[in-house]
Amino acid sequence: MSDDTLLQSRRGFLRALPAITAGAALPMGSARASEGKPHWAMLVDVRKCIGCQACTVSCIMENAVPVNSFRTIVSTYAVAQEVDGKLTAGTYVLPRLCNHCDHPPCVPVCPVGATFKRDDGIVVVDGDRCVGCAYCVQACPYDARFINHDTNKADKCTFCAHRVDAGLLPACVETCVGGARIFGDLNDPKGELRRRLDAAKNTDAIKVLKPESGTRPNVFYIGLDPRFQGRVEGQAALWRPSEHGG
Amino acid sequence: MSPSIVEVVNVAREVAWLPWAVQYFFLIGLSVGCFLLTVPWFALRRPAWERASRMALLGALTCGLTAPVALLSDLHQPGRFLNFYLHPNLGSWMAWGAFFIPLYLSGLMLYTWLALRPDLKRLADAGGRWASAYRALAYGGHDSLGAIRMAAMLALSGAALVALYTGMEVMVVRARPLWDTPFLPVQFFVTAVAGAIGLVLVLDRFVGDGRAAAEAGLPRLLAATQVLVLVLGAAWLLLGITGLSPRHAQALAQVAPSTAWRITAVWAAGSALATLWLSLAARGAAGRLAAGLIALHSAWMMRWTVFIGGQEIPKTGAGYYDYHLPLGHDGLLGIVGTAGLWIAVLILLVSVLPWSGPRHIQA
Repeated sequence: MSDDTLLQSRRGFLRALPAITAGAALPMGSARASEGKPHWAMLVDVRKCIGCQACTVSCIMENAVPVNSFRTIVSTYAVAQEVDGKLTAGTYVLPRLCNHCDHPPCVPVCPVGATFKRDDGIVVVDGDRCVGCAYCVQACPYDARFINHDTNKADKCTFCAHRVDAGLLPACVETCVGGARIFGDLNDPKGELRRRLDAAKNTDAIKVLKPESGTRPNVFYIGLDPRFQGRVEGQAALWRPSEHGG
Repeated sequence: MSPSIVEVVNVAREVAWLPWAVQYFFLIGLSVGCFLLTVPWFALRRPAWERASRMALLGALTCGLTAPVALLSDLHQPGRFLNFYLHPNLGSWMAWGAFFIPLYLSGLMLYTWLALRPDLKRLADAGGRWASAYRALAYGGHDSLGAIRMAAMLALSGAALVALYTGMEVMVVRARPLWDTPFLPVQFFVTAVAGAIGLVLVLDRFVGDGRAAAEAGLPRLLAATQVLVLVLGAAWLLLGITGLSPRHAQALAQVAPSTAWRITAVWAAGSALATLWLSLAARGAAGRLAAGLIALHSAWMMRWTVFIGGQEIPKTGAGYYDYHLPLGHDGLLGIVGTAGLWIAVLILLVSVLPWSGPRHIQA
């Protein structure tokens, strides 16, 4: 298929567009964090995700996330489209979590400096200092933060920092049935994460969510459909848990 | 057939800035706007403004004292405010707010005291059970125009900083295109001044003698603010429709498909036109009162739409989040409670301080 043909359809155009930004999404070769220290990141292979929500449940159990709140969830979409004149329908799943951005918009807005990026790249909230003002919740472009109804303070995915510090994998990675979540150190050239990212360096296979926002996420995706890269244009969720019902 | 997407499972992020935030931005905006209306008489001594400025000072003080309570309530645990002073992150507009609010309120209270000292002395001279208290409060009862003007400058700088920070705090949130527009701080300010004029018209009717509006030309001033509101709204819409500003186009694209948003836009424009018409055409007290009430409603509704409506737009998910106003403290009770507190403060201040000036005391 020639480039001209590719750009003739809207879908083709949308598919081609992220390739322009793929270079910006890919992490540099090394040394993204402090010298000699790990820089934790995650690669989500959407093609391997089966939408079982095991990650969602294990995260809740591991981190005592309150009822109807989520640090990670697998967004699930029913997609109907015409392919070669035939109507097809399918399911698209997209694991979402805090992107632990290199330029996290949540950090500078915090009025008391309670949220910060650790030397190893993990963005965390100091619960003792947090005042629950929710400014960081507003600033996050990924809707990854929320106010915890038990603590009334900001809450979010921490890459299970307590487990990582003890040499363990995040709970969601540990329990992923399809092996879709790969967690590792960007500074480790022999690690699977770095090897997978390096292997995809010259393709547009690796993407991040909302690359145009300039946040430089540390959660990368393989198999990310461009239609789900930003705010999804579609019909609202059929089931949306929330504190006040559902 | 075009591709269609239906979100089957996703999380709905709740509104994180609760109606408390709407109440705070509404009240502090009214306070700042009212303070500006006090300057013509108390600092500049324009006789036509005496009644209006006195009512405006009452409005500035009642709203200014009530607003921080709503803000503290939004922290879920009011004692947490100490961290704003123990660990300030000066790169955050919200952190600066913790310093600007006390600056403004202390300036306002000093200004109020200096402005009311002569009236307090007259109250003391009139005798009665509280004469000694009024005499102590009057502290000589001098009408020190120089000191009043210095206090006005202090309060004015605080008011300007409060207006600036409240606008910037919301404007810098890039994650929400509806908020991330340089129009927003200006819209906050203009609607706050309009609401303040509306509040003075209401206070003039129920607390004053009903003559403040005509003497100071408040209806014409209110009409001017409504013209500004309409011009700003039209410019915002034009930038979005033409695509001259990608951010405005993005914001418009987010809200345009929603029937509720379209009704809200028509309602806001209709309210501004109604206020404009009433301000220019209505001659009687009832017309001025109606104009004042509609202006107040518009100022509140603008903030409700921006904060609550803005948070109903998902950043990644499809469609819109549904917000149902809870009846408890984080919803209706919070709104009613703040309004009740404002009324209580108003009753207290009207009862103990000489808002009508020499006329009231002579009577």
